[in-house]
Amino acid sequence: MAVAATLIAGVMFELTNASRFSSSDAANWLPLSPAEYVAASATAISYSYSPGIALLLGAFLPVTLAVGVPATFALTAFLTVLGLVEGAVLVEMVRSVVQRTGSLGAGRFARLVIVLRAVLLIGLILIFDLAFNPVIILGFIREATAFEWITSAIPLFWSTRALAEWSAGSSALAGAFAAGQFVFLVLLVYSAGAVRARFWVPNPAEVAEIAPAVRPGHPYLAAVGLSGPEAAIASKDLRGFVRRREMLPTLVIPVVLLLLLAVEGSMFGRLGSILWVGWVVGFFALLLSVTSIGQERRALQSLYAYPITGRNVLRAKAASILVPTLVAAFGMPIVVSALFGLPLRALGGFIVACAAAAVVLAFWGLAFAARYSDYQDRPRPQYLRPGAMVGALASGMVILFSILVPATYAFLAPAVSQAVVGFAIGSGGIAIAAGALAFFWARSGFDQLFRQLPF
Amino acid sequence: MALDVDLLDSGGTGLRRVARVLGAESSRMTDVLSVPGTSPRPLPTEGSPTGGSSALAIDVRGVSKRYATIQALSHVSFTVPSGEIVGLLGPNGAGKSTLMKSILGLVRPDLGEIRVLGHEVREDPVAIKRLVGYVPEAPALYEFLTGAEYLDFVADMYGLPREVRSERIAQFLAGLELAGHENALISSYSQGMKQKVALSAALAHRPRVLILDEPLNGLDPRSARVTKDLLRNLARHEGVGVVFSTHVLEIAEAICDHVVILRHGEVVASGTVPVLRAQAGLAGSGLEEVFLALTGTGDLSDVVAALSH
Repeated sequence: MAVAATLIAGVMFELTNASRFSSSDAANWLPLSPAEYVAASATAISYSYSPGIALLLGAFLPVTLAVGVPATFALTAFLTVLGLVEGAVLVEMVRSVVQRTGSLGAGRFARLVIVLRAVLLIGLILIFDLAFNPVIILGFIREATAFEWITSAIPLFWSTRALAEWSAGSSALAGAFAAGQFVFLVLLVYSAGAVRARFWVPNPAEVAEIAPAVRPGHPYLAAVGLSGPEAAIASKDLRGFVRRREMLPTLVIPVVLLLLLAVEGSMFGRLGSILWVGWVVGFFALLLSVTSIGQERRALQSLYAYPITGRNVLRAKAASILVPTLVAAFGMPIVVSALFGLPLRALGGFIVACAAAAVVLAFWGLAFAARYSDYQDRPRPQYLRPGAMVGALASGMVILFSILVPATYAFLAPAVSQAVVGFAIGSGGIAIAAGALAFFWARSGFDQLFRQLPF
Repeated sequence: MALDVDLLDSGGTGLRRVARVLGAESSRMTDVLSVPGTSPRPLPTEGSPTGGSSALAIDVRGVSKRYATIQALSHVSFTVPSGEIVGLLGPNGAGKSTLMKSILGLVRPDLGEIRVLGHEVREDPVAIKRLVGYVPEAPALYEFLTGAEYLDFVADMYGLPREVRSERIAQFLAGLELAGHENALISSYSQGMKQKVALSAALAHRPRVLILDEPLNGLDPRSARVTKDLLRNLARHEGVGVVFSTHVLEIAEAICDHVVILRHGEVVASGTVPVLRAQAGLAGSGLEEVFLALTGTGDLSDVVAALSH
């Protein structure tokens, strides 16, 4: 499990961080061999994920002491740490290959690479979800360990075999499997060094698509009332969504959550599924909006230098958030309504509720983004200060469900009654009040933000 | 208006193109800049993105700015007349970048007043920004855009008409030798190429005032020469006021009409290079000696000796 956890988390990180953090250019001119680099980098990755392992082992320690098997604990801890490092070395191998692949993703293959990266990420997130489902992972291990020849042949299972042999009292075999696991790790480090030497490119290129030098304006954005500069900012942000790989996890969220609904939807039922979709849309809008200013990072100072006001930026940001969000707010209810055979009235109510939630949450997030954005360049960008992120998510979810729950009751009711009308008015009233509050709070935040550069 | 043929010849075709697009052919450019040497340019008015002229491009009076425990600027005063290039010099952390950001309105001074083309910066920042081109110390460009897309984006920001922007962008790309790279993402550019994009972005809307924070950083010799000659041309023939910071004192000596030296947020010297020489008591010396003397970092032999061992 340690190998799987480190590997999946590490590869996900590698696929989603900004390219400039993928380059380890310094390692190209420092006196380091590829194997040394791999060992050092794998150690760093292991260190990053070690708190999780430490917590697990810490929880395990009192149990082992209570039942009087401290040696079992020591062996488990040793093998878990080996697994952690093995996962990190495998991440290094993937990283070397991914960088080379990324550097090929320019020109006419660019869009294909973007799609493939998104598909890979969706797949990984689903695997991640399943891998950390204890029922599935333990079942898999139980099935695999039932056949000794499988576990003896696959080195990644030697830790499990070592613990099984130890528990069965066969300490010699346990020692042999544990030693084998260690030797396997050493071989893995050398293999990763060879892979890096073979595939590594020092400065990976971002995905690039051929674009004409000057585009013929932004007619669609202008049609919704944006001025030239506002449309240009919104258009720039929309391009950034698909071109910046650190934005990819945010963009694939609706797809992943919809797939999870399809995979595990039987648990949810009709009401649960509808609320789930409403939550996905609102959460998506909130996530895009709270990150909308922080993702500008140091380039924000460019916006300050142009002849525009904070309100221009607010309108542009709102547009760039609402374009993908409203697509989700219209598309996802249609899919779910088809799945559950909802009547047209319910579908209409569902779409209106999702769209209202998206608009309210977009402005709610923008209000937080204007005040609490984080502009630091980090490998794992956080865009909003952690405390504000918790506050935005908590308050946003309260608003979201205050709109969704009465709305869902109203549009799912088989017939219009006084109670149904009351719920519909209540939901609409909350949406309007929260929306107005969010809008004015966001507007004052942008006015304040654009008075002076925040860094 | 005649072009400065000597300057253009030294810069070659690229400079000729850039100079042309930036106003040497004044008859085509009256929509953006008025012709130098004619009647005074009107002050910027509401709804007039081009604005007008003032004898002083920049007027900084008694500006102070404090960041927590650091006094970044302390009662700084200086002026940049239209048509002059003023060099801002000073050691790292002297306050040059803060001062330049204050002039553009990116930083709000605690005390003092800043006027650009006669208008107080805090009163009408948007109108002033239309007239100013700015290159920050470390340009943070949108790296997920191509060079051409970025310049198109900036043209949108300044409301540059579509019918002129294609030609203007193409001229900059050619003049600064970015042509052929315009469809590559900026993330793949070298530092010098990014600097060229930032310079093009600052100049493309034909500003009346230029605020350039170390604009020659990372530029190759040809592009640096093009940029220096272009700045001279813009100042002398188009009346553009330029404030320019650099650590390369030879450049400051070569192109600046006036030099302001900052240290610990204060102006320690101001004047033409001969005046500064006289002030430092170093007649006949280069600007480097003058700078070291005026900033109190004259004798460096101990530092060099320590580092040599």
